[in-house]
Amino acid sequence: MQATQLFGRQLIATDVSVEPSWQSQLVRRPAMIFNGQWAICQRCGRKTVKQTVQLPEGDYYCPHCFQLGRVTSNQWLWSLPETNQFRRQADSPLSWSGELTPAQATCSQNINQVFIAGRTHLLWAVTGAGKTEMLFYGIEQALMKGLRVGIASPRVDVCLELAPRLKAAFASVPQAVLYGEMDGSYDYCQLTICTTHQLLRFYHAFDVLVIDEVDAFPFAADPGLHYAAEQAKKETGALLYLTATPSRALLRQERQKKLTVSYLPARYHGYPLPEIRVKLTSRWRQTLTKHRLSGGLNRALKQIVANQRRFLLFVPHVNDLSILESVLQRQFPTMSMVTVHASDPDRHEKVQRMRDGQLDCLITTTILERGVTFANIDVVVLGADDAVFSTAALVQIAGRAGRKAAHPDGLVIFFADSQTKAIKEACHQITFVNHKARKEGLIGHHD
Amino acid sequence: MTDCLLCHRDNFQQPTLWQLFNFQPIEPTLLCQTCLNAIDAIPADQACSGCGRLCSKSVCDDCLRWQEPQDFKNRAMFQYNALLRQFMSQYKFYGDYQLRKVFQTKLKREVAQFKADFVVPIPINPATQQQRGFNQVAGLLEQVETVDGLKTLHRDKQQPQSAKNRQQRMQTQQPFTLNLDPEKFNKKRVLIVDDIYTTGRTIRHAAMLFQSAGATEVMGLTLAHG
Repeated sequence: MQATQLFGRQLIATDVSVEPSWQSQLVRRPAMIFNGQWAICQRCGRKTVKQTVQLPEGDYYCPHCFQLGRVTSNQWLWSLPETNQFRRQADSPLSWSGELTPAQATCSQNINQVFIAGRTHLLWAVTGAGKTEMLFYGIEQALMKGLRVGIASPRVDVCLELAPRLKAAFASVPQAVLYGEMDGSYDYCQLTICTTHQLLRFYHAFDVLVIDEVDAFPFAADPGLHYAAEQAKKETGALLYLTATPSRALLRQERQKKLTVSYLPARYHGYPLPEIRVKLTSRWRQTLTKHRLSGGLNRALKQIVANQRRFLLFVPHVNDLSILESVLQRQFPTMSMVTVHASDPDRHEKVQRMRDGQLDCLITTTILERGVTFANIDVVVLGADDAVFSTAALVQIAGRAGRKAAHPDGLVIFFADSQTKAIKEACHQITFVNHKARKEGLIGHHD
Repeated sequence: MTDCLLCHRDNFQQPTLWQLFNFQPIEPTLLCQTCLNAIDAIPADQACSGCGRLCSKSVCDDCLRWQEPQDFKNRAMFQYNALLRQFMSQYKFYGDYQLRKVFQTKLKREVAQFKADFVVPIPINPATQQQRGFNQVAGLLEQVETVDGLKTLHRDKQQPQSAKNRQQRMQTQQPFTLNLDPEKFNKKRVLIVDDIYTTGRTIRHAAMLFQSAGATEVMGLTLAHG
């Protein structure tokens, strides 16, 4: 095996050999350690009761991270220390020529400070604030110093959308994009974009690690991935979390002084976030099974269609998609629409068609709640009171509207059979950030 | 255990009234209701008596073509649908050994009905055993008394059965040999157990060995057919 394949990586195996000059540098750690009744995986950090995961021959395995190759207690985690074998660049590798708003520039400076100091930091910026652009300055500085930079997201769609933007911004820097179903193999690159699951394969690799959309599934729900993020960065490395909707746990860490926060309550274009309108329905799902639309929904959609607006229509479950599509097709025969859900094979292609303006309506489950930008759309949520829509999800969904400076407005309507805490909190959050942005004078300068 | 072993969603089980007043310990199900509902059982009376597939005829066309061994009957418990595929891939190829428990009780009940003298799991070759750490069929049969009556002829496999097409599978040579004295199986009823019946090639190879050892009846049981 080539040494470059192991710099800052960890490989599960019983034995590994690399080029002779590197062989002595190899570090091996036990793949699992034991503490009383617990077996603790050293790759994902999760513990399991020993006897439930014992193999017939007496070894133990980790039932949490087997998707990246099973960790067994008779194996080792092999790695080579990350020595940053990158070409130092005297010239700036940044080929992005856009400009930041003053508020963005402040955050951008903050981020650079965090990267230099190797701190843990949360950038809390509203949906459509221009988070990626704010990273550019810090990443540029890090790359020029020869540091290794990683950008990870729980969602593969987000990774695939980030990669070309970073490629365009840092054209001269070799970049590796890693995710589960990718073709091709791992390349040792200074700039790595990957899903958070892929972080399980890194060990003390990154001087700078950015985690985009930290509150998204599965990162938020999986303690193994948090452990992986901590392990993937160097001990002195910086860790930056990005999100528009931080969880309580993350904000608690701020109070415990485990991380610092910078806050950006306004979008880059200086218009407020479209506020949510909640309309109550009466048993919409039952009405739908009778192949009709609830009165309010029907009126709203007619209005949207009459205004010739394109829109996203969110539903709680995959099963709601097809029936809603058939009802809408009958109601609005001229409208072009498709449905999309998580295991849809044509998912990426359908999203692209919506982006290109070929579709009037995309009916979707929560998979499109974040990480996608469509210009000039309205957003409708049907059954917003369903448990699948958390506060964070609802804020993210509302944040799909009005993202482009040319079309900063958009309708956001939630249809629900009853008010829920999540709906109220989402409405409140949006009013709150708009208010805060107005107070700080971030709204109304319209550049 | 609170999560479904397959889909990892919350697996909260509402005990039924019957369970509550029965005062018996409630056996936790390892899969959630959604996953359990996705399992397709094959009723014994609607299955082909030769291979166990769901079939309206008593013997399917495929089994009519099989000449060897004569009178071999296989029972398959479930259809090899999307859920079973996911199960097998996670259990066998990713090596999530916990999953062996999911079908153990059902399999035990099924095995008991055969009233066989010996229950023989299909063996795996030593290289796979080394790599996977367990024999997937023996894992499924943990609650049953089994006999290691077979062993593989080769240390490793050039190509796994699952990577072959039908024609290649059918041309597979006898991969097993008896592990014990053939006398032991003389005039006995033998039940061979495997995970999946696909073309029938593997289990029929195994059955031939016991038949030539003089077993009065050789039967097959597989978890899935597909």
